[in-house]
Amino acid sequence: MGRGRTAVALAGMGVLALAGSLLLAAGDQGPQAARSALRPPAPGDPLTGDEIARAGEIASATLRTRMSTGRVELLYVERDDDKAAAHLRRADAYIYDYGTDRLIVRTVDLGRGEVVAESAGRGVRPPPSRTEEARAAELLLADPGHGKRIRAAYAEAAGRPLRSASDLGLRALVYTPRRHGAAAAACRTHRCVRLFARLPDGTWLDTTRIAVDLSAKKIIALEW
Amino acid sequence: MVTVRLPLTLLLLALAAGLAGVPAAGGATAGRETREAREAREAREVPSGTGTAPAGTVPARAVPPRTAPASRTAPARPACGAPYLVDRRLPNGARWRLCWEMRTIEGLTLTDVAYTPAGGRETSVLRSTALAQIHVPYDSGEPRFHDIGTLGEIAVPLQSADCPGGQRRGQYVCVTTRPRGHAYLKSRFEEPALSAQGHDLAVYSAFQVGWYTYLVEWAFSDDGAITPRVGATGSLSGFTAETGHGWPTGTGGSHVEQSHSHNIFWRLDFDVDGRENDVVEQYDFTGSGTAARTLVRTRFTKETRAVNGRTRWWRVVDTESRNADGHPVSWEINNSASAQYRGPRDEAFTRADLYVSQYRACERLATNNPSPDCAPSVDRYAGSERLTDPVLWVNVSYHHVARDEDADPMPVHWQGFRITPRDVTAENPHLRSRAR
Repeated sequence: MGRGRTAVALAGMGVLALAGSLLLAAGDQGPQAARSALRPPAPGDPLTGDEIARAGEIASATLRTRMSTGRVELLYVERDDDKAAAHLRRADAYIYDYGTDRLIVRTVDLGRGEVVAESAGRGVRPPPSRTEEARAAELLLADPGHGKRIRAAYAEAAGRPLRSASDLGLRALVYTPRRHGAAAAACRTHRCVRLFARLPDGTWLDTTRIAVDLSAKKIIALEW
Repeated sequence: MVTVRLPLTLLLLALAAGLAGVPAAGGATAGRETREAREAREAREVPSGTGTAPAGTVPARAVPPRTAPASRTAPARPACGAPYLVDRRLPNGARWRLCWEMRTIEGLTLTDVAYTPAGGRETSVLRSTALAQIHVPYDSGEPRFHDIGTLGEIAVPLQSADCPGGQRRGQYVCVTTRPRGHAYLKSRFEEPALSAQGHDLAVYSAFQVGWYTYLVEWAFSDDGAITPRVGATGSLSGFTAETGHGWPTGTGGSHVEQSHSHNIFWRLDFDVDGRENDVVEQYDFTGSGTAARTLVRTRFTKETRAVNGRTRWWRVVDTESRNADGHPVSWEINNSASAQYRGPRDEAFTRADLYVSQYRACERLATNNPSPDCAPSVDRYAGSERLTDPVLWVNVSYHHVARDEDADPMPVHWQGFRITPRDVTAENPHLRSRAR
């Protein structure tokens, strides 16, 4: 899978962390973010919203250009749970490089303000981020056949036309490749997701035989 | 693996003579185990600076009579503060302390779980536990879902009524105490029966994954038992099927709802009385169709994939920590209620019911593990590495053949397993509390 691990200690990366806060939309902090603490977080507390934002910025510092073009994307930040470093405040930033179809995980030491470890590899399938979920829905709506079907189903359920993908109750799961036809075989290396879409009347669109290839920006009909 | 077979007579002799630390530790095997324990200790030595917590940060507790002797290290204090710390004393005096966290990927995750029997000393049980996957294959062969996405993003806000008698921690976590029925009942001669009611501390959240709402819960009992379980509710998928793959629901025979399995994996990083000296053993009982049954113990010295048996169970034992009777402290895992789903060749992770792997921080999910440094699935974690810090992965399957009663909103169907203290205290923990 072309995996490798390199320990990096890039002094001064923390300084760069002040810039680029746009990289993290508000929703990226998610419900796991600890509430803004009046006290400093204890070692075992979840990351605070501020720590999540800082970790994302530190981890992204060397990737700004590729992030601005959408080639590289910060998926989410998770508290690093390595029990050998339980006394430290550390965060794992999950970054996907669509240019090379590689997942990059950068471990940020929040106390030192720097990336202390990095691993990267192809064929690794982390859960889709909220941003990827929305993009998958937009691709599905942009497909002539699926778009027409979904708009009609939405109008019937809601009594009004669909304005955007955000009107749908979305949930993406990572697509796990099996023998689902030639197009689906690309998902062994591409970033592919399944999509659930809930309509305002509580019913669900039938998306069972659909995967969205985010790397190729294609809709895949799963064959079985 | 080391397999030890003991004739029942030897076992009884050993027990009668009071020689056996654990039943299978007596007789001719004792010398061998001592050597193993020594080797394990040598293998476990780690460089300084890699421990979980600074030593000596928690004062040792007073040890009352009939409880375990003081351990080599004080139990680690849960490393979190409010509102993430759960510290609950149940009516019989037992106490549980733990931290919760709503992780982005795994959702509700509990860490630093420690148990204090009534009147006893605190002992650590789990460093961490969380769901590791919910695999949902449908009976016609497709579709097949891996339901762990970013669970932390799809937690369902709990209303006050969803957390009866308890405290909501933020919007998504309920911490509550509830009765669990009789702890024991014993009639006496010319006196009223002795009895006590038991209680559980329950910590749970709910997650919306597609049609399903999953209730993810850990119950911590006042006798030291832990019951991890998941309840599936919400809605059925509505997938239709040939009658051979489903059951007619709704009016007449117009709709055949497709049957499916929920194969749920839990990751459990046991640190019994500290990180060191934890060993996993498997217990079997031979003698089907015969009058006598014989205990067979298998000690896992290397990573292992194990399957269920009707009377098979496992335990994580701390070889150095003993209760007041001199027996090693352990926690038993029983998964015999699983439907034991076995999938096709490309789903090798379904081929065992319990995996034991050497601790690696990047092994988090049972399938689609999101780490480039680690293997992608649990069947690959359990290779041949020597075990010094075992992590257990429990796979519990439930096969759902829908009924008319499963109409929306679908009633909850539960699946889970049991973790029971084995020789953590030297006597009934409830009687200990009565004597206080």
